[in-house]
Amino acid sequence: MAEKVRTPTRRAVIIGVIAGVVGIYLAATGNILRFHTRNVLTTADGEGILQLSYTFLLLVILAAAYRAARGTSEQQPDPARRIGLGVLTGGVAGAVVALFVAAMKALIEGGLIVTEITPEIRAVLLDDILLFGRGLGAGSALLIGLGAALGAVAASVHLLDRNNRRPLMVGFVATLLVSLMEPLLRVIIEGLGVDTAWLYQSRGLTVTGAIIVFVVVAGLLTAWTRRGDLVRERVRQLPTQQRSVLRWSTIALFILFLLFLPSLAGLRVSEVLTTIGIYVLLGLGLNIVVGYAGLLDLGYVAFFAVGAYVTAILTFRSSFLVSESGVSVAQLDLGDKGFTNFWVALPIVVILAVIIGVLIGAPVLRLRGDYLAIVTLGFGEIIRVLVASDWLRPWLGGAQGIIAPDDIPPATLELRKPANLYFLILAAVLLAAFISYRLVDSRVGRAWAAMREDESVAEAMGISVIKYKLLAFAIGAGIASLGGAFFAVKIGSVFPNSFKLIVSINVLAVIILGGMGSIPGVIVGSIVLVGLPELLREFAEYRLLFYGAILVAIMIYKPEGLVPNKRRVRELHEVDEEEAQFAKRAGEDTAAPVVTAGGSDEK
Amino acid sequence: MSPLLEVTGLSKRFGGVRAVDGVDFRADQGEIVGVIGPNGAGKTTLFNVVTGFYPSDEGTMRFDGHSLNGLKPNQITRLGIARTFQAVRLFPAMTVLENAMVGQHARTRSGVLGAVLALGPTRREEEHIQAQAREMLAFFGDRLVGFREDQLASELAYADRRRLEIARAMATEPKLLLLDEPAAGMNPQEKKDLIQLIARLRDERGYSIVLIEHDMAVVSGISERVVALDYGRKIAEGTYEEVSSNERVIEAYLGKQK
Repeated sequence: MAEKVRTPTRRAVIIGVIAGVVGIYLAATGNILRFHTRNVLTTADGEGILQLSYTFLLLVILAAAYRAARGTSEQQPDPARRIGLGVLTGGVAGAVVALFVAAMKALIEGGLIVTEITPEIRAVLLDDILLFGRGLGAGSALLIGLGAALGAVAASVHLLDRNNRRPLMVGFVATLLVSLMEPLLRVIIEGLGVDTAWLYQSRGLTVTGAIIVFVVVAGLLTAWTRRGDLVRERVRQLPTQQRSVLRWSTIALFILFLLFLPSLAGLRVSEVLTTIGIYVLLGLGLNIVVGYAGLLDLGYVAFFAVGAYVTAILTFRSSFLVSESGVSVAQLDLGDKGFTNFWVALPIVVILAVIIGVLIGAPVLRLRGDYLAIVTLGFGEIIRVLVASDWLRPWLGGAQGIIAPDDIPPATLELRKPANLYFLILAAVLLAAFISYRLVDSRVGRAWAAMREDESVAEAMGISVIKYKLLAFAIGAGIASLGGAFFAVKIGSVFPNSFKLIVSINVLAVIILGGMGSIPGVIVGSIVLVGLPELLREFAEYRLLFYGAILVAIMIYKPEGLVPNKRRVRELHEVDEEEAQFAKRAGEDTAAPVVTAGGSDEK
Repeated sequence: MSPLLEVTGLSKRFGGVRAVDGVDFRADQGEIVGVIGPNGAGKTTLFNVVTGFYPSDEGTMRFDGHSLNGLKPNQITRLGIARTFQAVRLFPAMTVLENAMVGQHARTRSGVLGAVLALGPTRREEEHIQAQAREMLAFFGDRLVGFREDQLASELAYADRRRLEIARAMATEPKLLLLDEPAAGMNPQEKKDLIQLIARLRDERGYSIVLIEHDMAVVSGISERVVALDYGRKIAEGTYEEVSSNERVIEAYLGKQK
């Protein structure tokens, strides 16, 4: 049987239908209604122009038309055809939605649907949200026309060359994000004493604001794509010493910015920053275990838990160590402060975690790959179950955990302020990043890399696999326990529930998304996966959806991660590179004799 | 002169199969020994037992005054035995230079603290590791130096991968080099180069060399002594001429004549 070749037109229709169905799904699940009052774009007087509800539909149609007009690798349509395909896709999507509305209306009005109609459907259909409140005829026409227009816009993006396309798309996404992050950004900007009326009105961006944001972002990006190569080339030509000065001063500037960030951003953001910081710490630790040493540890949360619990026991006044009877966690008020203060506790926490890291590491040393993952998963759960158990209840508080009373001791009190804790976490992150940075290119880092690549050969090179596995586990555990200690202080309580498997998975997702083995990757990964969902609180119910969508998208389009280390890019794009090399070699052929002559002269 | 490597009565069983069965084997200082035999004769298993990849079932192994019995591969490497693998096994995602630098692991000592603080001794050691690795790469002429240093091992051409594997083994500063089918997959010219290379390895670097090889041209061209294995047993030993005319060897390769 010959395989059917889909013509571009056929593809466009299919994609349009899919887009329409997605739109219907959004409407039927109530998502259109829910965000119908949330403005994305407003007039200068705060009158809504575009609501989030329509934005969803708009995005779906834009994406579908963009995809349809792109063509396939075999078929590259000409410009006019592309626009046509986009229009077709958008129109079909609009028509599908309109048809659905018409069908539902007919069914409801004809009394054919006997089950009760949910308010969501009623509002979308009968109150004509999908039809812009203009009735079936005019509404449908508008929907189809709008779909076609959007399709044309999306398709025309393909007509631009790459250097123009990117700023445009990034500018669009940035504008949308600025609008969605209104609750946060407005507070920050107003905190700086700047009036925001020109930018935000009744929860949406004003038209002026949107244009300004778009122009600024797209303009900066255009400038960078035009001149970026030049700048990069110039940096590359600098002598090594100047280049390292440049790099360190960039890092120093970044740190300086981080130091002033909490006072700029206010309480709410500081709080989010501490959460991000804790995840960065966990990510840096796990990055050593998974990214450097290649040991897939799914029970990493165990060390986080150890850090948090040991901190709670040592510093919380409700700890059994403080209670003279030493039995009941119910008697909270026996001492007027914890067993010791946070600063004394910190090194004890780390040392204990390192020991436990080695203890957990020792029995799993022989295991590789998947087996290791499963066993560490088990260990992670064991720690959580132990902590929650009645058996250890007198010491660890069972399911109730350990709670710091409100009148907490002074040393800890200061740390409960997000801004203060932030600096401490920042210091720990910098330390962990520095350690990672120094280790990766050292003899130890090479031993880890060799072990990750081929364990038996690494052993044949004289590397004691046992020693280096334990070392990775120990360092990872130590860094995670720091995160745990900060977490305990930040929350002021430790519960078994805070240390579920999902934490391990989140941290793993952070480093995979950021780019395995990359330090900046961990930071960016934490901001995207932990920070953005926290900042977009408004969409709390959708956080997991957002999280999943981001993961899927990034793994498809950027499998090496957001800020990959260079090596992984080369690994994953080896094929492209080979092609590039062949192309390069073909070009060099004419010059080859000269090159070899010069080369041999030097010797 | 006492032998550098002396193996006596060595046996290794996998289930009921005797992969290596009571083999006596030695390699003297500065000698090049060829190990031949049909597929499944136990040649690679012999290497694997000697280098500690598999524990031996019976027999003793002594190297340079130390017993090898019960030692782990990394300890054996430290004593001065390095090897290559039948199917090239590099660290594909590491650069050429890094591959060679890993070889220096056994001869250096700086640890986590040294790496983090990067004080004088660690930095000097790191420079030393690089210099050593470069020296080993330079042994292969211009094949592995210059821009190739920073290429990933997986980006190298096949013959260069073989070369890099030898360079990496050299970086462990061995006394004895075990080469497992170094000529596999090479063309006639590359094989000729290989013969010269192996001779240079002995003459210039002073390694003793044991090589497993199927290619008789390579074996005859370089080996001072040849050991033939079949079904895990040593069936012949001597010069190439002696071994190649040995009836049992011919039988093992061609089957019994009726």
